[in-house]
This record gives sequence, structure tokens and C-alpha cells, in this order.
Amino acid sequence: MIEILASQVVSGLATGCVYALVALGFVLIYKATDVVNFAQGEFVMASGFISYTLLIRYGLPYWLVFCLTILLSGVMGVVLERVVVRPIMSAPIFSIVIATIGASTVMRSAAGIIYGYDVLPLPTIFSKEPIQLGILNFTPMDVGVIGCSIVIMLALYLFFKWTKTGMAMRATAQSQTAAQLMGVSVKQIFSLTWAISAGIGGIAGVLIAPIIYLDPNLGTIGVKAFAGAILGGFGSIPGAIIGGMLLGVLENLSGYFFNAGIKQVSTYILLILVLIIRPSGLFGAVAMKKV
Amino acid sequence: MNWRGGPLRGQRDWLKTGASLQALLLVVTGVALLVLPNVADNYVIYIGARLFVYILVALGLNLLTGYAGQVSLGHAAFFAIGAYTAAVLAESLHWPFVICVIVSAFFTAIVGYLLGLPCLRLSGLYLAMATLGFTLIVQEMLLQLSVITHGSEGMLVPTASILGFTFDSDYRKYYLLFGVTIVMLILTRNLVRGRTGRAFLAIRENERAAEAMGVNLAQYKTIAFAISALYTGLAGALSAFLVGFLDPQEFSFFLSIQFITIIILGGLASLLGSVLGAGFLIILPELLAGLDVWQALVYGVIMVLTILFMPFGLSGAIRRYAYRWLGIGVEPIIPRRLGH
Repeated sequence: MIEILASQVVSGLATGCVYALVALGFVLIYKATDVVNFAQGEFVMASGFISYTLLIRYGLPYWLVFCLTILLSGVMGVVLERVVVRPIMSAPIFSIVIATIGASTVMRSAAGIIYGYDVLPLPTIFSKEPIQLGILNFTPMDVGVIGCSIVIMLALYLFFKWTKTGMAMRATAQSQTAAQLMGVSVKQIFSLTWAISAGIGGIAGVLIAPIIYLDPNLGTIGVKAFAGAILGGFGSIPGAIIGGMLLGVLENLSGYFFNAGIKQVSTYILLILVLIIRPSGLFGAVAMKKV
Repeated sequence: MNWRGGPLRGQRDWLKTGASLQALLLVVTGVALLVLPNVADNYVIYIGARLFVYILVALGLNLLTGYAGQVSLGHAAFFAIGAYTAAVLAESLHWPFVICVIVSAFFTAIVGYLLGLPCLRLSGLYLAMATLGFTLIVQEMLLQLSVITHGSEGMLVPTASILGFTFDSDYRKYYLLFGVTIVMLILTRNLVRGRTGRAFLAIRENERAAEAMGVNLAQYKTIAFAISALYTGLAGALSAFLVGFLDPQEFSFFLSIQFITIIILGGLASLLGSVLGAGFLIILPELLAGLDVWQALVYGVIMVLTILFMPFGLSGAIRRYAYRWLGIGVEPIIPRRLGH
């Protein structure tokens, strides 16, 4: 019993880490630019297909594919920001959200036209053979995904904490006007934020596609990641990470106790309960509005 | 307020001209829709009837999101609840059509009220997520409660009839839905101009200020949820009789996103916007049907372009250009950063 639960937690943590990465993408863009990007899940999907193409069709080595995918995904983010979001930065936030939903429709159907709607196998360097270690039963892939995610998060933390650009990004998140007055190019920061968010989404895609599936609807993972970010408190970076991981673990555990249908919704039931008690998520700041 | 030159006119005056433009457009559209079934083929009539269903949903959602400022992604669930309640009452209990529809609408309103209660403390993105969760939970319940809903097999809905007059053709269903939509449009117009509508707007603009002015926040927010759910449940019930078959797969969160897209593309807090947005979302895919696999792609591109060029929706654009080119009404002032 305890062994099964423990291994469920580990594999849930692996999916949860990917949710956390995507959630991080949501929150970074939201903090820097006040925009909620509903095409975030589509970066995951698109990068899954990009890496599939590079690996299978062009036969490139895995590490090169990994780097190229992140790069291309980042470029995609910058293009999306430039073409779709920046022209309407002053419009109501609802309109921007709908624009990103429109963009996600375009990306999803483009993937469908190019690759079809069948599930494609994406190879991975991690083995899926289970390993027994004490009471833990896990696959190297789970560990690989968790490890990669933690490295990425650590790198991001160091980037934001210690580099000049990272500091400029934090400044922009606090106050765009003040950052601009201090000589930060807010426009460049916006582009960079979208590039980083999309890049993280790209990593998430390469990591998760071999675990679940690769088809044009992979982007719906964005909904779960969004739920994770909300659970942690939207706008909080630690919140997004913990919320995402928590969601992955809970989802996997409820899959053990209930059937597949209930597994899908149990996390949302829990999320609503959490929101009733804490309306701004676990780590979110309560927003006060002046009269 | 931005006057952009031009003579200063009295407040009454521009209210009148602005409203009369909107009324004129609504009347022209209404007359066109009234004669449509007599000149169009069956498929067009069916699409027209679906358009009315979506207009009803858009009106309800616009009351909640556009006027009261409460974002909801839970309307696919309300739609499903209305549709399934009507189907169960008609199919299993053999209740008459009119009673089925009315009971479904009010039952959905009660569900909306009950959902509104825990959502009182939520706003913006948190509210959107909670209501999205509600949609996903209800869709799963449709599959799990197969004793009542027949699960993934779906449900057949009997033909609607009032006092022996059966609505067995799309032609007849079209006029039924047309009538209901007109009635609901007038009701909505009166509602948003009255005390309730003003309270909704006050809540949207600033909750604290609204409270200070004597608006009971909890009461009006739950009322907004209930009324909005009533419209959507009504639309769901009518849609069940229109289509004649319910497939639980249809009530996914994509439907909720489609609903919210309608009111944003059409224009928030605008009745004309609800109508135009529904028209946009229902008619455009039909126009693009010949494009085969490219349909969704082109549709998405048009959606993005529409928002890029009309960030305040179709009705916002109409009002803006009516003012700039024809001098009718005023430059629309729409609050920035709504939903924060």
C-alpha cells in the first residue's frame, strides 16, 4: 500500500513539475506585462512537434534537439508578443486574452494540418523501465523530468536574483514607469519575458510529450497548469511551482483511488474548495483596490 | 470624457442619438431575420435558430461578465444543466414542452445562485478558474450519472409542441426561438436600464464604492449569477429541443470559451454586442466551411485580426466609427483593464 502510494507520488511529481514549468510561464508573463497568455499550452504542444520533426525527420542528436527546440519556442513567443499582443497592449485585458485564444486556435489547427490528429511517439533519452529503490518504485524518466525541471527553476532563480537583466525584469514587474525612468527598455523586457516563458514551455513540451502523448490537443495541458498557478496564487512564482507540483501529485493519487473520469475532476473540486477558503490561492497576495 | 472637437451637445441629445443608432441596427437586423426563413433553405434556417440560442447565452453572460464584471467560464455547465433538465423532464417524465423549458430555466437559475454563493469572495482570474472547474465537474457528472443522463451515449429529446401545435420543422423552431429571443432582448434592455443594471455596473466599476453607495454586494452578485444562469439554462433547454439530441462531449470548456469569446468580440456590456458577437461566431465558421482543414486556422486568424482592429469589440467599433464619421452618439468610453 505505502509502496504504491509512494511511487504514485513520484510519478505525480514528474507530471507536476511539468505543470509547474508551464504555470511559471503563465506567471512570468502576467507579472511582467499584466497579460494572461492562454496560448501558453500551445508552446508546449508546438515544441513537442518541433522536437519530433528534428529528431525523427532530420535525425539530429537529442541534446541539440533539446537546445534548438527551446530556442525556436522562444522565438515563437517573441513573434506572438510582437504580432498579436503588443499592438493591443492598451486594450482591455479581456481583449488581449481573446487574442491569445485566437492565436492558440491558429497554432493548434496549424499543427493539425501539418502533422494530422494521430498520436505520435516522441522518443526520450530516459528509460521507462521501472527501478526499485527501497520502498520507492520509479522510472528513470520520472527522475529525469523532475531533475530537469528543478535545474531550470534554479537557473531562473539565479537569473532573476543576480543578473542585471533579471533585475531589470523584476523592476518592470514592480512598476513599468519607474523601470523605464531608470533606463530599462520595457519593450525589450516584454519580448524577453515572452521568450523565456515560451522557452520554458518548450522544455515542458520536450519533457511531457513522451510521458502522455503528442497530438495537436496537447496544448490543453495549459488548463491544468493554469489551475496549478491559481492554486498557488496567480502572480506568485513559488506559488506557481508548488501549485503545479501539488496538482500533479493530487491528480495521480486520486487516479489511484477513483476511476479515470473522477481523477480528471477531483483536482478541480479540491481547487474550488481551496479557493473558497483562500480566495487568492495558497501564496497569492490579497489585492486591495482604492475607492 | 473625450469630445474630440465638434459642437458640445446636451447630454439628453447624445443619449438619444446613440441609442437610436443602436435601436435602428437592432430593428434592421430583426426584420432581416424575420423574413429570412421564407427565402433561405433548411440548413440556413437551422443555423439561424442556433444563432438565437447563442444570442440568449450571450445576453445572459454579458449581464454577468459585461455588466456586473464577474468573469465566468462556467456557462457551458449552465447550458448543459438547462439542456439535460429539459431532456430528462420531457423524455422520462413526459412533461409538456413549455413547462419543461420554464422549469429548466429556473432550475439552472437556482444552480447559478448556489454557484454564486461560494464565488462571492473570488474575482478576476480566480473566479474564471473556479467557474472553469465547475464546467469540467459538470461535464464529468453528465458522464458519471448515466442512470439519468445515459452517460456517453447521449440523450434523445422528443419533439416540442404547444397545445397540439408541434415544432417539428426547423422553420417552426426558428420562429419559436426568434420570438423567445426578442422577448428576452426586451427584458434584458429593461433590466440593464433599471436599478439592478445600475447596481451591476457599480459593482463592476468599484466594489467598495458600490457598497458605500448602498449596493448589497452579496445580494447583487448572486442575483447576477442567477439571472445569467437563467438565460443560459433557457438557451440550453431550447437548444435541446432544437437539436433533438444531447451529446455530453459538446459541453466542454471549449464551449465556455466560445461563449466568452462571443461577448468580448461582440462588445462587453452591450446588447447589440451580444447579438453581433453571436452572429460572428455562428455564421463565420459556416462561411468558411468550404476551406476544409484550413477552416479552424483561417477562423483563428480572423478572430485575432478582429480583436487587433477592434479591441472594444464589434459594437465598440460601430459606435466609434458612427461618432467619427457620422457624428452620431459619442466616442465610446470603455473602462480599461477590466477584470483586474
